[in-house]
Amino acid sequence: MLEILSSPLFGIALSIVAFRIGMWVNKKLKTPLANPLIIAMLLVVGFLSAFGIPVEVYEEGSSFILMFLAPVTAVLALTIYRQRKTLMSNFFPVILGTLAGSLAALATIRASCNILGLDRTILASLLSKSVTTPVAIALTEQFGGIPALTIASTIITGLAGNLLAPVLPKVFGITDPVAHGVGIGSCSHALGTSKALEIGEIEGAMSSISISLSAIWTVLLAPLFF
Amino acid sequence: MKYLTQLAIIFGLCLVGDLISSLLPFAFPGSVVSMLLILLLLSTNLLKEQSLGESADFMLRNMTFFFIPPGVSIIRYMDIIHSIWWQLLVVNIVSVITCFAAASWTVVLVSRAQKALQRRRHA
Repeated sequence: MLEILSSPLFGIALSIVAFRIGMWVNKKLKTPLANPLIIAMLLVVGFLSAFGIPVEVYEEGSSFILMFLAPVTAVLALTIYRQRKTLMSNFFPVILGTLAGSLAALATIRASCNILGLDRTILASLLSKSVTTPVAIALTEQFGGIPALTIASTIITGLAGNLLAPVLPKVFGITDPVAHGVGIGSCSHALGTSKALEIGEIEGAMSSISISLSAIWTVLLAPLFF
Repeated sequence: MKYLTQLAIIFGLCLVGDLISSLLPFAFPGSVVSMLLILLLLSTNLLKEQSLGESADFMLRNMTFFFIPPGVSIIRYMDIIHSIWWQLLVVNIVSVITCFAAASWTVVLVSRAQKALQRRRHA
């Protein structure tokens, strides 16, 4: 039985069904708390434990989906290209905004790890967590951290960004859609960007651009904070 | 056939990105290299938008879906997370807020400075 379930078809089918339900619930409830990803994750975990299927079996099958993380990151180039006019007319604000965002994230992570007494391995796993998952994992490995902890943190961060994206501009008095998009993309990578794409075209494009720019800034600057 | 060609182009460019990344003298992730490479090819008209077309749009539209498996994997590391769960939450949420504030306010301030400069130039 477990052999059949470790087939990619099971992992993919279960993930798609969970995602469809997550999207449906999200549309029905119309609240950011009914996040399709959280719902889908909980449904998959619930399904696995209800039928006593080890998570390793699901992972074996769903590794096919993981394979797409790099292409998904790469094709973000298309959203940048489509908004190249908006980028070129906001070149310096976007370049400097992502630089400031990356510095703020790295400094906050370093300082709060010190204050909360988290050791260097944890710091190594958290420093890169603001940027897109493949980049974050690569940086964690470079620093000798725990990639699993990075994945957990990029998801917590992404979810926090996704959930807070509509609220944060009100808190900080941001009305400019470019500033809004750069803020979301800098602090919460593709997971926040999926919300930015829902909010608006400029927000989505700016957020996509900021994923790549903040990933580059973070790759370059993270060694200074380790 | 069209979709298969688009997928082949996307996967091929990802492999080239990984190759370039492995040749770089410093650590720089392959997927980011691939993204920059695709952007470069599009900007120089060596690659047409239609060559990535529907397949790329499919991935972008359903991006959240691809995060379900890593999300589910978290339950394997529950013991580490359990011991530092509130510290993790604090670090993650506080850094999201400071990063958002720094990035978005810098954008606002730099745009204002640019507009002021332009006005002075025209005056």
